Amino acid sequence: MTSYFVRRFLLILPTFLGVTVLVFTLTRLVPGGPIERMLNEAAMAGADNAGATSGYDGHGAGALSDQQIEELKAYYGFDKPVLVAYADWLGKVLTLDLGTSTRYSEPVWETVKGRLPISIFYGVATLILTYGVCVPLGIVKAIRHKTAFDNLSSAVVFFGYAIPSYVVAIALLTGFAANLEWFPLGGFVSDDFDDLSGLEKAGDVASHAVLPLLSYMAGSFAVTTLLMKNSLMDNLAAEYVRTAIAKGMNFRAAVFGHALRNSLIPIATSFGNNITLIVTGSFLIEKIFNIDGFGLLGFESLVERDYPVVMGILVISSLLFLIGNILSDVCVALTDPRVKFGSGESGQ
Amino acid sequence: MPLLAVEELSVAFDTEDGAVTVLDRVGFHLEAGETLGLVGESGCGKSVTALAVMGLLPKPAGRVIGGRVVFAGQDLIDAPAEQLRRIRGNRISMIFQEPMTALNPVQRIGRQLAESITLHEPAATAAVTRRSLALLEQVGIPAAEQRLSEYPHQLSGGMRQRVMIAMALASSPDVLIADEPTTALDVTIQAQILEVLRTLQRDTGMAVLFITHDLGVIAELCSRVVVMYAGRVAEQAPVEPLFRAPRHPYTRGLLASIPRLQDEPKTHLTTIPGTVPAIGELPPGCRFANRCPLAQALCSERTPMLETLDANRTVACHRWREAVAS
Ligand SMILES: Nc1ncnc2c1ncn2[C@@H]1O[C@H](COP(=O)(O)OP(=O)(O)OP(=O)(O)O)[C@@H](O)[C@H]1O
Ligand SMILES: [Mg+2]
Repeated sequence: MTSYFVRRFLLILPTFLGVTVLVFTLTRLVPGGPIERMLNEAAMAGADNAGATSGYDGHGAGALSDQQIEELKAYYGFDKPVLVAYADWLGKVLTLDLGTSTRYSEPVWETVKGRLPISIFYGVATLILTYGVCVPLGIVKAIRHKTAFDNLSSAVVFFGYAIPSYVVAIALLTGFAANLEWFPLGGFVSDDFDDLSGLEKAGDVASHAVLPLLSYMAGSFAVTTLLMKNSLMDNLAAEYVRTAIAKGMNFRAAVFGHALRNSLIPIATSFGNNITLIVTGSFLIEKIFNIDGFGLLGFESLVERDYPVVMGILVISSLLFLIGNILSDVCVALTDPRVKFGSGESGQ
Repeated sequence: MPLLAVEELSVAFDTEDGAVTVLDRVGFHLEAGETLGLVGESGCGKSVTALAVMGLLPKPAGRVIGGRVVFAGQDLIDAPAEQLRRIRGNRISMIFQEPMTALNPVQRIGRQLAESITLHEPAATAAVTRRSLALLEQVGIPAAEQRLSEYPHQLSGGMRQRVMIAMALASSPDVLIADEPTTALDVTIQAQILEVLRTLQRDTGMAVLFITHDLGVIAELCSRVVVMYAGRVAEQAPVEPLFRAPRHPYTRGLLASIPRLQDEPKTHLTTIPGTVPAIGELPPGCRFANRCPLAQALCSERTPMLETLDANRTVACHRWREAVAS
């Protein structure tokens, strides 16, 4: 088992290398290259809406200084042969030197680093809440299949699924923050956060988090709940459950002692995927609740052509994606003993 | 009084086309220590009979709509769940057709076996392990100790079926129901498993209800046979008289279709012409009538009742006398 995990983690290296090749190629393939493109955009923006602000606070894609252009060129190594440029760039990526944000004029890593804790907080909280609620709910729904409880909860869950999460977000915001004023209107923490005591700080973060978390969960709820329910129902009909009952187990014990672990296998498979989706966040929800997370950063950087940040985010989210996949594999291997990764052992 | 008596047992399944009656007043009995064969072609209701006896009909689709299953004097059909639970795996055990899927794929053999033991008789870990090893040895599993820590996928089909048998034996049951335990296995393994069952039956004195569609296996293993056709009992008799002088035309057809070594090579195998009527569109009267060489108008009108021929022989056929004469 341990060797499986070690091998699996070692596989990150070549895969990540592949990702960097792709990202690097991308920088070369964009018509005209990132730098000319950026210059064009800057020029056009300047001509089109002189004076008008661009919806997103910040300085817009104002003309880049010669120095910035030189920095960019040097960063992507346009002055060197491709392979050398790639090797240089990779070396920089590995030391977390992702270039300099044109918008914030600070290293990309600094920009990203500031957002990470917020995104990770929301990601992990959503994940815990989703699994913490969906798995038990799916179990109860499977056992009570076609009862009033099952039908009612399905209706609620599908309702949440059918409505886009930003609509849920706006509805929650209007209802509970604007009208009822139960929760703050947005942001990650209050302005006076630094003056609060430890306990108050936690309460502050929590009260800011309630509505965004609900919005995040509304969408992912249906999928995980029904996955759990269907998976458990399949396993309840499996022959080994019948065997367990034939041995003299009662139904409930057979559900929890036998069917449950088997039915978690598909859930484990989707686990890693959910991690990455959630850590990268949804820019709409972040925008609505004014949360400075990864999703919003990525979106704004795209709009503002903050090229280095976009590439940096691409690299980081690819890395997260890889880690998520491996987490999935680890979860599956932990639940399913039949999974043995390319080893000489019997089975499969 | 027989150990296990199935009386006029009827079972229906709810399907998309409404309720279909899959078992129609099936009856037979099992004496302590005997091996009774239950034979019939695929779909005739053998597994459903076994599951109904065990109270394991798939819920909510399947249900008993009539009759009784009496085990050691108590009716199992209406027994409370807890009472049934204490009988299942303890006094009546069952092994299934598919050893590949009958074991939990994510649990070690040792744990699944231990569970069979402790479900009915809590014991200390060491004692459970000792008992597990003894059971595995009893069913002829080599390197038993190592097997305990293995998962089902690491075992061959034959080994898994042995594990199933070991689990069924854990509480020394009075009755073992074996539902085609060798159908999914290849021939040499089949022979080994049958040998294991025969030895166990002899050593433990438990009664065995052996379900199969293989008359050869019946001849080898059983003392009496119940022949089923399309959800009903066609005939029951001790093995030797049944093979020598079958009464029901269906039984005759079954016996005639066993290939024999002395048959001329490369001739066509004898088969029963026609097909079993689909369970949804069962005809009135005798269900075998459309394939029966002796059928008359009466046969498709009136359902033949089970007639007792002598102390331990019954047949459900209007024309069994003609069958004997022909
Ligand atoms: N869950 C179910 N729902 C509906 N009908 C069923 C169900 N299970 C069994 N049946 C029907 O009951 C009949 C008897 O099935 P059963 O499994 O007892 O046959 P069998 O004699 O064991 O056959 P085999 O030799 O193939 O195992 C079949 O016609 C089948 O269609
Ligand atoms: Mg069957």
